Amino acid sequence: MAATQSPPSRQGLARFLAERRGADGVEVGPQELLAGGAIRQNWGFDAEFRGGTLAGRQPLVLRSQGPTGIPSSLGLIEEFAALRAAFGAGVTTPEPLFAGTDPEVCGGPFFVMRRLAGTAQGRQITTDPTLEPELPRVAERLGGELARIQTIRPPRPDLGFLPLVEAAQHIAAFRAYLDRHPQPRPVLEWGIRWLETHQPEPLPPVLCHRDFRTGNYMLDGPNLTGILDWEFAGWGDPDEDIGWFCCKGWRFARLDREAGGIAGRTDFYRGYEAASGRRLDPERVRFWELLANIRWAIIALQQSDRYRIGGEERLSLAFIGRRATESELELLMLLDA
Amino acid sequence: MRDLPPTSDLLDLAHRVSAEDLSPPERERHAHLAATARTIAAREAAAGEGWQQEIEQELAGFYGTRASRPQKRGPEARGPNTSLLARLAADLRNGAFETTPSRERAARAILWRLVLAKLREANPQFLAANGFANGTD
Repeated sequence: MAATQSPPSRQGLARFLAERRGADGVEVGPQELLAGGAIRQNWGFDAEFRGGTLAGRQPLVLRSQGPTGIPSSLGLIEEFAALRAAFGAGVTTPEPLFAGTDPEVCGGPFFVMRRLAGTAQGRQITTDPTLEPELPRVAERLGGELARIQTIRPPRPDLGFLPLVEAAQHIAAFRAYLDRHPQPRPVLEWGIRWLETHQPEPLPPVLCHRDFRTGNYMLDGPNLTGILDWEFAGWGDPDEDIGWFCCKGWRFARLDREAGGIAGRTDFYRGYEAASGRRLDPERVRFWELLANIRWAIIALQQSDRYRIGGEERLSLAFIGRRATESELELLMLLDA
Repeated sequence: MRDLPPTSDLLDLAHRVSAEDLSPPERERHAHLAATARTIAAREAAAGEGWQQEIEQELAGFYGTRASRPQKRGPEARGPNTSLLARLAADLRNGAFETTPSRERAARAILWRLVLAKLREANPQFLAANGFANGTD
């Protein structure tokens, strides 16, 4: 299998955009495969609309499926709906514009959103000395954004397809995966058993982003421009995204800064608690952080499966399964603390 | 006991994928990972089967059985050396040691040794960053 995919058809994309916005014509500029996006592909481009409601030059991103995926990903059209709901709720995200399935554009489902300024690179964000003084404020802002995401609650007719995944379903899914995996993973088994015997009382479900972390938000300087990558969204416990954000796997160069490698937990929690009106319970957060470590380990193994089983020849995919052992070390440290 | 895919596969893949087929951000990442694979391969060659045999012996002692050599070869072989690890995994899933603190402590000790041994080969920098003094080789 090829290491990369071809960019979308400029002609097909121009026709699609013109039809959607009633333009006399659209000229699509050169397309650039953007960094990140282990499962999806993000193609940045400028589109010049002649007439219609988007007249003028628009920096846009087309998001499409990579060669293979992992089981918990939403489809592109469903991800578009989740992004639209978040944008509608006032969450800082790229504005979702159009979704489509026209095979002449990129051979499968896709959606188009506005392109944001800034970077999402976790290593850069956690090491840039010019950002240092601003990062606690960024963490507080992110806590507030997470609270806003959680204002989206079921039932929602536009999000009726989203699964409700509570701790018990996560645990069952982890074990089902490990039963198929060719190597025994006793550390993960121990951690999953701990989860099984320490489940907190569930809270009313909210929209979980399920990949809310450093690396999935854009900063333009110290300014948050958008929360990205909604492909894992679903209904779940409000503390799930808190645990995921604080999981060691997402601290990049600063393992010591427990809120996403950018700040201490206090800053992040303060922003969340102020916006949500809900005081965080450290024991609940610990449970969801342990679960986050196991979930990240399983996702890392599944990503490697895309090479090992799916034949997708990308060294980064083949390698990523090794990170499961890093999560296992963190599990041992958390459970033996 | 080493993680999948085996490092030899990573090295083969690093050679097989041409940098010309990659986008500029992917190219830089690929080069970094190819170098990392070579470093891990060197560490694995230096370590040989030593730590895996030690853990196999510990598992055999833990279960009161005799350690034996694998019947199958290859990266995904589930020979006798991994069958004791699979037994440990199954027992941990079922909470088999939760009523016997000494057994649970002994099982945890094996888990620690397994993870530390794997990371010493695969990512000693991560061990060091987590405060394990012997993380660097």
